[in-house]
Amino acid sequence: MIYLKALVLFLLTVNVCMADELLDQIHARLTKATITRGAFEQTKQLKVLRKPLISNGTFIYHKSRGIAWKTLSPVPSLLLISDTRLWTEQGEQPVPAAFGKVFQAMLGADLSQLATAFDINGTVRKIAWQVSLVPKDEMMKKVISRMQLSGDHELRELEIFESNGNSSILHFQNIIHPERLTAGEEADFAHLSP
Amino acid sequence: MRIYRPRTAAFVWLLGLLALGFAGSRLLTADWLETGFLALLPATEQQPEIAQAVRQHNELINGKVICLTGAGSAPQAIAYAGQLKERFEQSGLFKDIRLQVDQQDFAKRYQQLFVYRYQLLDAQTRGMLLAQPETLIGRNLEMLYSPLGQLQAANLERDPLLLFSRYFNAQNPGRFTLEQGVVLVQDGGRFWALLIADMADNKLHLDNLDVLRELMNGAQGRIEAAGGELLATGMPLFTAEGSHSAQREIAIVSIGSTLGILLLLLTFRSARPLLLSCLGIAASTFAALVVSIMVFGKIHLLTLVFGASLIGVGIDYALHYFCSSFSSENWAPAKGLQYILLGITLDLGTSLVSYASLGVAPFPLLQEIAFFSVIGLIGAWATVVLLFPLLLTGFKPAHKPTMLRLTNYWQQHWRVWLLRNRAWLAPVAIAAVAGGLWQLTPRDDVRLLQSASTERLAADQKIRQLLPVRADSQFFLVSGKDPQDWHRNEQALLARLETLKQQGAMESYDGLSRYWPDPDTQRDNYHLLKRTFYEAGLLKRYMAELGFDEQAIAAEQQRFKAAENSRISLAEWLDSADEARKIHWLGCDAGRCISTVSLTDIKNLNALSQLNDLQGVRWVDQATQLSSLFERYRTSASALLIAAYGIVLIGLALKFGWRNALMIISVPVFATAVSLSMLGWFDQLFSLFNLFALLLVLGIGVDYGIFFFLAEDERSSTSLAVTLSAITTLLSFGLLAVSSTAIVHAFGFTVAAGILTALLLAPLVGKQTR
Repeated sequence: MIYLKALVLFLLTVNVCMADELLDQIHARLTKATITRGAFEQTKQLKVLRKPLISNGTFIYHKSRGIAWKTLSPVPSLLLISDTRLWTEQGEQPVPAAFGKVFQAMLGADLSQLATAFDINGTVRKIAWQVSLVPKDEMMKKVISRMQLSGDHELRELEIFESNGNSSILHFQNIIHPERLTAGEEADFAHLSP
Repeated sequence: MRIYRPRTAAFVWLLGLLALGFAGSRLLTADWLETGFLALLPATEQQPEIAQAVRQHNELINGKVICLTGAGSAPQAIAYAGQLKERFEQSGLFKDIRLQVDQQDFAKRYQQLFVYRYQLLDAQTRGMLLAQPETLIGRNLEMLYSPLGQLQAANLERDPLLLFSRYFNAQNPGRFTLEQGVVLVQDGGRFWALLIADMADNKLHLDNLDVLRELMNGAQGRIEAAGGELLATGMPLFTAEGSHSAQREIAIVSIGSTLGILLLLLTFRSARPLLLSCLGIAASTFAALVVSIMVFGKIHLLTLVFGASLIGVGIDYALHYFCSSFSSENWAPAKGLQYILLGITLDLGTSLVSYASLGVAPFPLLQEIAFFSVIGLIGAWATVVLLFPLLLTGFKPAHKPTMLRLTNYWQQHWRVWLLRNRAWLAPVAIAAVAGGLWQLTPRDDVRLLQSASTERLAADQKIRQLLPVRADSQFFLVSGKDPQDWHRNEQALLARLETLKQQGAMESYDGLSRYWPDPDTQRDNYHLLKRTFYEAGLLKRYMAELGFDEQAIAAEQQRFKAAENSRISLAEWLDSADEARKIHWLGCDAGRCISTVSLTDIKNLNALSQLNDLQGVRWVDQATQLSSLFERYRTSASALLIAAYGIVLIGLALKFGWRNALMIISVPVFATAVSLSMLGWFDQLFSLFNLFALLLVLGIGVDYGIFFFLAEDERSSTSLAVTLSAITTLLSFGLLAVSSTAIVHAFGFTVAAGILTALLLAPLVGKQTR
């Protein structure tokens, strides 16, 4: 319960510090776009379950409007996250920023925020890169022990290791950068406008 | 008055004052001033138990100060809030300051409830189980598969149906985030940190309010200088501003009084009348204060303001006495007293009648003011009659003051001019007065009493935008003879509120029975789960499909079975609840349990007030109730004013005959009519409080009438007394018209218009002898 509460309510500091050299290099490789659209496959490994929970769907990131996360299988659902709000069909929830900020940072190619909240380690090759994030905050550490990101000119994979032994791996595919949102996506994001 | 002995009389006066001083020295050290507006409610208006519950509720929320510190970044906002908290702590004003949520403690308290997860179902889960249990599985899968699912899954092993996370999330909805344990609200690019503090003194005493005001202003200056923002609201801040502006108004009056003093000095060329006037006012106010506190225990700030104003008539007694010294060459104090005694006693009689009539209404404030001003007037009269003759020994101004010549010239020529032009003056005046009266519209909204600054109101508005702040003065009281009965009643109310919420009557509502099911419902919840999931094999299927092994499924069945008879009592539940919930519970006593149901952002008051007819439910709307009370009491105070005129008229008629009585009373009658019509023409506030001013106009107007009527060959000294009285009254109470507090302004405006009219009309009374 402590962990659950802490993670639900935790918000990263957004103090902007000098970005690491590592982050600069990754930033240089990432595509900068207002809109990022793609598909994902998520594999969740929960200790108490014998088999992983596998789901897939699509996501769309819009620089100013946030992220729409659409799970298609096995249970269709929609999740919307902006800087300040988190919307699901089951109701509004507090923003678990560990999730929101990392996604915003990676998909939006704005890495400077990450350095303030995480200890960063990684390698950068000619195109590909890999980085490991360890939360600085003690309370955050109790929930998430480490996150691992890798990619090239896009974010390709995100692994989250929880302190309790659970983990999730997210694979991103078919990433494109369209000029504008479709009408359906506009309608989805409309849930976030007050 | 042949048996009058100045020394004996003065001795009697002194004894009286000493007695009061002795009583006062004990009373005034205690806590005697009431400032809260809620104290104005008549105690008998409602059932006492309702009044008691409302009072209890008010005490819970009265001392609350809600602050948001804003900055461009979250850590900065939190830093400002931290500074504010430090200042609050140093001030010693607060008993509880909440900035950081102790998450460990919070979670531990919730942990107590985890044991009861099968009994504590939130409304949504219950609804799904009743309608179609499979939906719950769908929702759970949705949660578990979502990228956020790990949060809920943390307890999956011990709570595979995620019952407790559902219950927990239903209790803590909203879009707040915590950072460093501080509640943060984001609004555009701005971050706001929340700090809530409770005043140690929720009776809101004046000294504490002043300290609070200084504290808030200081903190605001500091934070703004650093580039941040501070928003604050809460009853203490509003009351602090109200009492501060009342104090500033008193300062305005004292400037006016200083000018009046200069005028007195210039007229009499002696400090004696001045010192004696001050002594008279001080002694009568003191007497009124001490005796009122003796009778009422505590008196309201408004009693002090309006009561002291009404006592203002008392200064006229002194002025008449002093001015009579200009009337004849061989004036002596004893002779002067003889000359004015009839006039001032008559005037005392009429004023007492008119002021005392206020006390007939069962409104605590009116009763206090009536009593206060009656005692004060008797004190003023007694001081003039008992003390002044001795202290005026040897007083005889040798000069003819310029003022005397001016006022004499004025009263003669003005009268002549009025009479010569009456053919056109009268119709014009009547038309103008009628026109004004036509436009007079009463406004009784109690919110006009609050003299909050626009900044304070804007801050309050902004906070209500950012946070779901419950309405302080509008809520439901729900009662029942025991917790079960109470629970049933509140559930019935909440069901109706849900419908109204859907229709947009308010933003949200909150009540304890949403979170604590009574033992019967707890049993029902358990059996509902048993029927739909645990016995029907649905649980097994769900867990197996999700990937739990046989052992885990058996363990869950075992846990469920073991929990069959556990029930959580309301007391235990409250123990784990946070402040925002606990505040709803007013407790059980003598076969009666009471809670409040709070609302945020009310849009349809009408629809809500109609729920009053539900069993055990009472709609409380303090602002509207108080406004309607003010309206009722304005009506009855108006009737009392008219009755007072009637009584005064009869009294005067018995003494002087009907014709003369009508002539005398026409002065205050016209003054009142002009005053009311001015309120109409200038679109001024017309409420209960203007009637106090009109009482003062009655008292002073009759006084002018009587003195001019009795003046005979002493019209010049009488006109001096009347003019001096009018000028001092205008300089003191008339100046209140510049006040920013609506009611004080209305009072001043009414007095100013009425007294000016009375002054202009009074010379028409009596016969011109020279």
